[in-house]
Amino acid sequence: MTAQFPPPVADVEQRLLSPDELEAALRDIGARRYHNLHPFHQLLHDGKLNKDQVRAWALNRYYYQAMIPVKDAVVLARMQEAELRRIWRQRIVDHDGDGPGDGGIERWLKLAEGVGFERDYVLSTKGILTATKFSVDAYVHFVSEKPLMEAIASSLTEMFSPTIISERVSGMLKNYDFITKDTLAYFEKRLTQAPRDADFALDYVKRHATTPDLQRKAMAALTFKCTVLWTQLDALYFAYVAPGMIPPDAWQPGEGLVAQAPAPAVRSVAFAGGDVPRLPRGVRLRFDDVRGKHVLLAPERTFDLDDNAVAVLQLVDGQRSVSDIAGRLAETYAADRSVIEADICPMLADLAQKRVLER
Amino acid sequence: MNAPTPAPSPSQVSPAPVGLLAELTHRCPLRCPYCSNPLELDRRSGELDTATWLRVLTEAAGLGVLHVHLSGGEPTARNDIVEITAKCAELGLYSNLITSGVGGALQKLDALYDVGLDHVQLSVQGVDAANAERIGGLKNAQPQKMQFAARVTELGLPLTLNSVIHRGNIHEVPGFIDLAVKLGAKRLEVAHTQYYGWAYVNRAALMPDKAQVDQSIRIVEEARERLKGELVIDLVVPDYYAKYPKACAGGWGRKLMNVTPQGKVLPCHAAETIPGLEFWYVVDHSLSEIWTQSPAFAAYRGTDWMQEPCRSCDRREKDWGGCRCQAMALAGDAKATDPACSLSPLHSKMRELAGQEAAETPPDYIYRAIGTNVQNPLLEKAPL
Repeated sequence: MTAQFPPPVADVEQRLLSPDELEAALRDIGARRYHNLHPFHQLLHDGKLNKDQVRAWALNRYYYQAMIPVKDAVVLARMQEAELRRIWRQRIVDHDGDGPGDGGIERWLKLAEGVGFERDYVLSTKGILTATKFSVDAYVHFVSEKPLMEAIASSLTEMFSPTIISERVSGMLKNYDFITKDTLAYFEKRLTQAPRDADFALDYVKRHATTPDLQRKAMAALTFKCTVLWTQLDALYFAYVAPGMIPPDAWQPGEGLVAQAPAPAVRSVAFAGGDVPRLPRGVRLRFDDVRGKHVLLAPERTFDLDDNAVAVLQLVDGQRSVSDIAGRLAETYAADRSVIEADICPMLADLAQKRVLER
Repeated sequence: MNAPTPAPSPSQVSPAPVGLLAELTHRCPLRCPYCSNPLELDRRSGELDTATWLRVLTEAAGLGVLHVHLSGGEPTARNDIVEITAKCAELGLYSNLITSGVGGALQKLDALYDVGLDHVQLSVQGVDAANAERIGGLKNAQPQKMQFAARVTELGLPLTLNSVIHRGNIHEVPGFIDLAVKLGAKRLEVAHTQYYGWAYVNRAALMPDKAQVDQSIRIVEEARERLKGELVIDLVVPDYYAKYPKACAGGWGRKLMNVTPQGKVLPCHAAETIPGLEFWYVVDHSLSEIWTQSPAFAAYRGTDWMQEPCRSCDRREKDWGGCRCQAMALAGDAKATDPACSLSPLHSKMRELAGQEAAETPPDYIYRAIGTNVQNPLLEKAPL
């Protein structure tokens, strides 16, 4: 890394901060630079993104998730004390799990599958934006090159994540019908894991950033990490929201998705009193002796009918109008003809929509 | 007569079957390399006689069957097809003629209409005539099919076009949709090949790649929207690229009975590929006995036979573990989870296999023919 990240709080004089002041300064960085403020996240949480844009987010963010344990292993390798390593290694376990099918990466894959991706496509990382990869890789390089205290400080975005997670979960569940609670299982775990991790890291930084210079370096490390997250959203916004410039080789909507039979199309057909309904050839109403009920037989399909539908269809003969049928039923059931007519029109429309009734 | 079998427990007996697939004959003028018939085709001399088919239909109606699919081979190759169809109408059975539309089909169509045929499903192998005739292995088939379709709609019979999709015609999906509209069909089946029977040994010649499959699905989705109210399009997605398996035949021994030309009764058309199953014949038993007591129907009915991951899966009564025949063919174990399921440990290998085959130059078709001695390494050893 050669880029220099300027101290975030430029007007704070170069004096030694108390541990509490340092914490406040670090939190201030999050308040101004954390990616919950990014326009892409606001669109995501407010339900303003379409399904493909949510997919792009889930796919790209997978790369970040997948590299987090790599990053943590680099940090771990630089820790000289067993006590520190015992605590830090928990992060790797959280992400990788104790076995196949477990852990944060797996839960993120579930999320990606939940929005329609094929698992193998996500694992291949081939549709991921180059900008995402550069940004995430820069994070891994940062923790391998900077002193341990700065590497740990860069993880402190976890202090801010519980807020974004609860906003995200409630917003996405409310706004997207293709998102379920199962899909978002990743975040449920992080709600408890992130604060635990952040408490340790914050304490470490407060105890080890003991000079004005080290304190500024801790702040710069956290700022850098906020930029890592922010840049990923810039890239997503640029490619998939506006101006919508998807780079060559990056995921195109439609790619990498599980083949799925879409829901059948719905058409609306209205019926009025004067219309004459009829069953077309190839559709027959009959009594099924074995099951003791009427069924409607159609090409490759059988419809179960309720008593009202049977009463109506028994009067459908290609001669009687809807009003005639309502009149007959009104006599039989001693009910108001116009009420019956109002009831049977939508029923006939529904059958017509299923292509088993014509007029 | 077979050895007595203990009666199955009540939980193992399904409600009445709703469909009967009557494979009236294996004779067919077409030679499609994806035919679902078994590799060992029944000969004319072994076919059931008319009286037996009429009895089978009567028993089917009594058992609760609602739909009869008159199939084959080419069902109109039977001289008694009109008599058989009339019997369906007399019994209130919904008759569905599944036909190639070639040979004597057109000649018999009016008579079938007169005796009360309910629905026609016509196969089309391709849109471009030369391509279609290469796939079906019969010259001049396409104009006959077009004439046949025209007469079906002229009579006012509901028409479904059935197109089996594979790498040799997947580029014609938009054409199939236009053709269905042009012919006045109410339904179109865009059915990706299911790899059983002849399709299994021709798999490398038929398997499309994932991108082609995805594109075909997008085209169908778009057309459904555009043709709302005009054409219903049913899509059968290919197992090898699916996430979950299909509930084959609606679940083993739950909805469907399949009677072969010789009168052997199967839970699905490929069931004979599973070794060790004991099938009963309509000449020895009534359909009702076969449904409730035959060992083959009991073998994989319900969920008791399942292994993990099916056994504890919350989808086990949705897809019933997928297809037993596919599990047998690919995993070498009919009780295994269908490798088409993403929860199967073999799923990714199955998909890899499909991808590899799709990437290679397609071999020549092994055309369907009675008496062919098919050689294919796939038949010797389960590949996964």
